[in-house]
Amino acid sequence: MKNPGNGFQATVTFVGSRTRLLAIMFSGYFLMLLTVGIYRFWLVTNKRRFYWSHTKIDGDALEYTGSAMQLLIGFLFAVMIFIPLYGFFFYLSTQSPETAIIGYSGAAIFMYFMYGYAAFRSRRFLLSRTLWRGIRFQLTGSAWSYAFRRLFWTVLTFLTLGLAFPFMSVSLWKYRYSHTWFGDRQCSFSGSWRQIAIPFYLYYFMVAGLILLGFNTNIATSPDSGLSANNYELSPEASSIYSAAIMVAIIAYFHLRAYITSAMLSSISIGKTRLKVTVRTRDLSWLQIAYSFVLAIVAVGFGLIVAYLMGDVFAPMLQDDGADLGQVLQMGWYNLIVFGGIYLGFMASISIVSEIILKLGFWRLVARGTVLENAGDLQDIRAGGQESPLVGEGLADALNAGAY
Amino acid sequence: MEFEAQYYDGVVARAQNVLVEIEQLDKKYTDPKSPEFLVENSAAIAISKLDSERGGRGHEIAHWRSNHVFSISSSKTELRLGVSNRLAGERLVFSGSQIDKIHRLLPGLAVKRRKNIGRQMRFIGLASGALVSLVGAYIIGIPLMANRIVGLVPAQTEVDFGLTIAGQMPDAFAEQGGIPLCDEDANSVANLAIARFVDQALQGVDTPFAVDIQVVNNPIPNAFALPGGQAYYFSGLLQKTQNSDEFSAVLAHEIGHVVARHGMQKMISSAGTGLLVGFVLGDITGLSVAGGLGSVLINNSFSREAEREADAFAAQVSTRMNFNPAAMVNLLDRVALDDEFAKAMALFGTHPLNSERREALAQSDRQLSTNDAQFSSQEWLAIKSMCSGSGTANQRQSDNDVGGDEGSTNNPTENPRRKNTKIKT
Repeated sequence: MKNPGNGFQATVTFVGSRTRLLAIMFSGYFLMLLTVGIYRFWLVTNKRRFYWSHTKIDGDALEYTGSAMQLLIGFLFAVMIFIPLYGFFFYLSTQSPETAIIGYSGAAIFMYFMYGYAAFRSRRFLLSRTLWRGIRFQLTGSAWSYAFRRLFWTVLTFLTLGLAFPFMSVSLWKYRYSHTWFGDRQCSFSGSWRQIAIPFYLYYFMVAGLILLGFNTNIATSPDSGLSANNYELSPEASSIYSAAIMVAIIAYFHLRAYITSAMLSSISIGKTRLKVTVRTRDLSWLQIAYSFVLAIVAVGFGLIVAYLMGDVFAPMLQDDGADLGQVLQMGWYNLIVFGGIYLGFMASISIVSEIILKLGFWRLVARGTVLENAGDLQDIRAGGQESPLVGEGLADALNAGAY
Repeated sequence: MEFEAQYYDGVVARAQNVLVEIEQLDKKYTDPKSPEFLVENSAAIAISKLDSERGGRGHEIAHWRSNHVFSISSSKTELRLGVSNRLAGERLVFSGSQIDKIHRLLPGLAVKRRKNIGRQMRFIGLASGALVSLVGAYIIGIPLMANRIVGLVPAQTEVDFGLTIAGQMPDAFAEQGGIPLCDEDANSVANLAIARFVDQALQGVDTPFAVDIQVVNNPIPNAFALPGGQAYYFSGLLQKTQNSDEFSAVLAHEIGHVVARHGMQKMISSAGTGLLVGFVLGDITGLSVAGGLGSVLINNSFSREAEREADAFAAQVSTRMNFNPAAMVNLLDRVALDDEFAKAMALFGTHPLNSERREALAQSDRQLSTNDAQFSSQEWLAIKSMCSGSGTANQRQSDNDVGGDEGSTNNPTENPRRKNTKIKT
């Protein structure tokens, strides 16, 4: 028995290996091919079991109790919702361009709204199927309410050119975590927009200032008036200022992401137990660099295969020298299958690389950067809640909203 | 045998160190294959508190029966057991070398696990089989269904729809300067001859559509029909057309598309395929390129069928009119061989010419003397020179295989002959 002194600090570890996940992903995609895609619900379930069962909080692993069948049924529900929408798209495509544009924009906003709804439902599904020390998590609150908040804040952020972002961010984090329960105890979220505002506005005005400066420099230094409509040439001074702006924006992205993740997760407490999360910008950046590097190798590899096929195999079959893909695809089922296979292989490789480098890497960074202060307080929490919703996160799956 | 383990009671978030004693109650059914095995192979699992002070067994806190116990997917370094007749979160977690011993003592765990996996695999197999046959039925059925559904679309709707598309055509071909009419005078010799051809072809044919074939100025060698009766013959193709037989064959073919409502069918069928592919790949929004690829597969088979039907129509009307429907093969071959624009695959995108179709067309081959031709030589000359008239400066370089009389002339603006197509009653 661990000794739960009052100041007892629990750590989180992640012991999953990349090779194990790689094996899950490879066999999963292979079986997906054999089962015309149906296996993806099992793949998702296996992935989650991997992440959960290898994440140990104070020595005890998480447990994922969801099943693939629940996901499959949820997906079928989502299909029922989507068929009328699909009919609407078809109707739009037969209308005049003006109507179609209005219709598609409306549909895009609706989809954005539904994405928020689906993401919240998906979160509820996940939490209610997560056990730690035999006790279930749950998520209360309304998915509709969350979706409305998300839409409202997005519109406001858009209208204020991004200035409302800290408020949006905190509002959504707060909604998510203050409705999260572990057993019979509700989490509380103490994060404030001020935490995000300081670094965010600092970077925001730095980038905006550089862009304005670059604009002015361009007017001042370019040979023609910088404002003349057909002068797209940047003066060297201006382009170096713009490059600086891009550099700052990239640094800002990683720093803010690491900072916001750490600050917001560290604002969560359950009873007297507090999360303390440190995700370092450096680690996050390395992750992204590694990902881009491997992705580039994969892309070049597939590019070479396609180039070889187009140049050496297909070009002699065509009358003219410049073979284009459209032409090759017209030449029969065999070619379609070859290129279809290459395409699917490429997409699968991208998602495998993203899973084993980015997602696993991020999960591990967060897990290893987390400690629970006053963890002894958790021992009094009692079970509460049940698995809900009964069927899976179909809509989220259909909208591609679920991560992990 | 006694084991040390962690125990979660499913009530409180606390891990307790326990001693677990597994005692075999009934050794009769040890063969995992016997049906009684799961029910009868009961071992008693006694869970007692580990007395931390004396290091021995404390009081018993739970008692499980092995037939209710199942294993839960976990990392390889631990074995996690749940129990079906007690609290949902109640767990025993063993680790290290104990795992193998527990498996030997409780062989039912592996049996249950295998059974569960088997059940899921059977389900996945069944579901994939069902999905494959669904896809198959879809690939075969959608063109057929599109045929039926199109019967439910009112003719006026199709005409309106066709006009909407026609309105977008100049933009779609903006790169080559749009599709301005070659000859705006509806009463010119050429236009009258084409109109007469259309009338004759449609004689006795049951269709609600008035077909309007426009010869337009555009260097791409192409001809196609929109839903509802609008059809286009591009000057690029006219230039490659060597005689009135070839011209007639293409006209009849396009009229066939209109009569069979292929444009509308294609719309319906591609909407259907998008949905199917979205379903299979789980991306209902259909944004993925994979969706496009699947649609290409299905639509390809659809357009082959449509081409066959349009050819058949041309062959049929040719029996009461004077032209040779097989002449189209020559034209298609010629375009394929020597035109740089063929790379854009315009004509073959819409009119794939495979051996099967070639054969069918060859069967309809009939030799006619030139005197019998559907268009008089005067009319044919007028048609051939339709796009070289009207005086405006020639802004486009044309390939001069018929004498350099080709040229882009009109402004790609609204055009007086483009009338509102009405339903023929």
